[in-house]
Amino acid sequence: MLKTKTVCRLLFYCVMICILTGCWDREEIEDKSYVIGLGLDRSSQKGKIKVTMLLANPEVGSIQGGGGSTEKPREIISFDANDFIAAKATANAVISRKVTYELLKIFVVSEDFARDKTFPSTFYDITKDKEIHQNSYIAVSKEKASQYFIHNRPKMETRPHKYYQFMINHGIENGLIPDSTLFRYLQTTERGTDLFLAMYTTAEKQKHREIKQEDEYMAGELNATGELDDTQFIGSAVFKNGVMIDKLNGQETRVINILDDTTNIKEILVNFPNPFSDNNKQFSARVSKTKNNKVRMNLKGPKPMILITVPLEYEILSNPSMVNFLKEKNRQILKHEIIKDVEGLFEKVLKKSQTQLKGVPYPLSFNSRRYFGTIQQYKKFNWAKSYIHADIQVKADIQIIDYGKIIKKPIKVGE
Amino acid sequence: MNQHPGKLGIREYVSIAILMVGAKATEDTPTMLYNKVQNAAWMIPLLSAGIFFIPLYLLIKTLSLYQGKDLFSVINKILGKYLGFIICLVIFIISSFGISASTRTYIDIIRAFYFTATPNVIIYAILIIISAYGAKKGLQHIGSVSYLIVFYVLVSLYIVFYLSMQHGKIQSIFPIWGPGTLEILKQGPQQLTLFAEFFIFAMIIPYFTSNKVFSKGTWIAYVYVSIQISAATFLFICMFDTSLGGIGYPFHTVIRFISLGEFIPNVEIIFFIIWIISAFIRFTAFLYINALMFGHIFKIKDFEYLIPSLATIYLLIGIIPESPLDAGLDFKTPITNLAGPTFAVISILLWMVALIKGEFKHAKNKNSM
Repeated sequence: MLKTKTVCRLLFYCVMICILTGCWDREEIEDKSYVIGLGLDRSSQKGKIKVTMLLANPEVGSIQGGGGSTEKPREIISFDANDFIAAKATANAVISRKVTYELLKIFVVSEDFARDKTFPSTFYDITKDKEIHQNSYIAVSKEKASQYFIHNRPKMETRPHKYYQFMINHGIENGLIPDSTLFRYLQTTERGTDLFLAMYTTAEKQKHREIKQEDEYMAGELNATGELDDTQFIGSAVFKNGVMIDKLNGQETRVINILDDTTNIKEILVNFPNPFSDNNKQFSARVSKTKNNKVRMNLKGPKPMILITVPLEYEILSNPSMVNFLKEKNRQILKHEIIKDVEGLFEKVLKKSQTQLKGVPYPLSFNSRRYFGTIQQYKKFNWAKSYIHADIQVKADIQIIDYGKIIKKPIKVGE
Repeated sequence: MNQHPGKLGIREYVSIAILMVGAKATEDTPTMLYNKVQNAAWMIPLLSAGIFFIPLYLLIKTLSLYQGKDLFSVINKILGKYLGFIICLVIFIISSFGISASTRTYIDIIRAFYFTATPNVIIYAILIIISAYGAKKGLQHIGSVSYLIVFYVLVSLYIVFYLSMQHGKIQSIFPIWGPGTLEILKQGPQQLTLFAEFFIFAMIIPYFTSNKVFSKGTWIAYVYVSIQISAATFLFICMFDTSLGGIGYPFHTVIRFISLGEFIPNVEIIFFIIWIISAFIRFTAFLYINALMFGHIFKIKDFEYLIPSLATIYLLIGIIPESPLDAGLDFKTPITNLAGPTFAVISILLWMVALIKGEFKHAKNKNSM
């Protein structure tokens, strides 16, 4: 009797093991092909889109592979499809393994398609496909997305998922590109009160490239030469109601990123004008923001008043005029210069958002909400409309936490 | 050392209650609340808890007259044989549909996010088989397993809360009154079903070491759970803002979004496993209580043997709706509209009849004797 019981139990456990495979959802890693980047373009046929898939080869560069594999690190295919969900199956006509979006890192949309009125309805499929995580990014490319992936040939970081991960993370830390996750895209579009910024990128060299201030470039404008990959991530594309309407350069993107409390900016290195001498040598500094903005609004009158106080910490990194900061006067001059520079720049960008973009490119509307008791009142106020006429003032609360090493003027020979 | 073998202590009871009711924060309840009163949704659990407090208090007071008797015996005693039978049957039917509706919600979640290719029936069968197996083991096992895992469940929930807080914006809860105070006050009584399980827990009073365990445990779990559901809703509002209305299962969307640093980006599976274990316990306990009710109504002593067949019936009811959308409309809405208010009315009715019959006076006299 006991024996039969034991045998029965063992058999039962064996049956239970079968469940562990996951029934119909059994998946083999070996059997899958991971899409890292997905490009979306306008198709030549109406009602369709051109899908480009950037597939990574997991064997390349991993420790287990030993690096001995001679296979290419990636594969790129482009074809026309109705949407990018059913395209997974179509892709199998070319790709030997099962195509999956589980590790999808970045959507690249061509500028041409992003400006199309039909773009949001196509792009909203991201909420339907369960494999797509909402922390993947959306980027807008100057050229066609299919061309972008082909021309993007990183020299060092040949594994595509690592390339995009590092490129995006450091871009966001520097503030030169916005933190444009799908999550933010969906939220901003559904909120309908402000604008969304997507990172701007290109793999194309521009013909005439001029030299500008350290962050005033758009992607493709930076004149970098040498043995390198031509892809650049800088600046942002502005989306209104899910459709692209305009572009912001690196500097403006940075300003918005500093204003936006929800973005994780870390190390922003900037130049600012030299108040001590007339030559063009500028100071450089590291800017960090440890506290949130203080936003005060007066929304009662016909013209809303908004006062934004931005707390910033500066570390002076260079001293081109060899100024002695032990003197209180010099420190005051420097601080005043920074405040003037920052406030001027911020107000310029916000003015541009009011006149040119007709909306605020970061969720400032959140700060206005607490002035209302109910949703009805808030809707009646109509933030999107009121913002355009608002009187905005920016106050920079600058703290200089480090003046750098105190240096003596080098004594000239013979003096 | 007065240990009662085979009886539940307060800690087991509180953990069962937290797992069963607190789990509502992790399914579609926050979304449902959000669709009703938008960003004031976090107030509703607290308000409903405040309203449901009255019937629950009266129920506990009435039950305390009959030490160690379960809910159905008390109903029969107070309301008589025939009326009592009908009311017991109503409670049983409501909680049967409740179990089918909530298991179906869980199946939809699992199928939507984790097992997209597996047929509904198979997932359903596995869930029900495991719950039935657990229920057959008896309430003592359920109690000790709950106590074992409640810690992990709560810790994982807090980790999720903490991680999602970094993505949330606290300003999302403004305008503070949402669609207006009147609308909130109107919705409060309609969401009593959030706490309907506490009424059903009165069925397992004979398994407690004393009646004190029930009253004390209920209050501890009640306060905690209402805060937990409210806090979860609050955090989901902060995180999703207006998109919350369109997100069916916010908890699962959150665990797919958050990451533990750059090197562990996709962590949902850790939370999923803990969540599914708590789901098993929830339905195991639910199934056991339902079998207990059935056994009581139809005077079946060895009701444990009923569990597999009851479970099969619940499965069959649960798979009737074709899609999650149908399930929401056909099942969830009627149950949520019905269960809470009905249970509240029954509690108040019991207390009133007991009062009119003078049971409270009798008890007092007995005590003074």
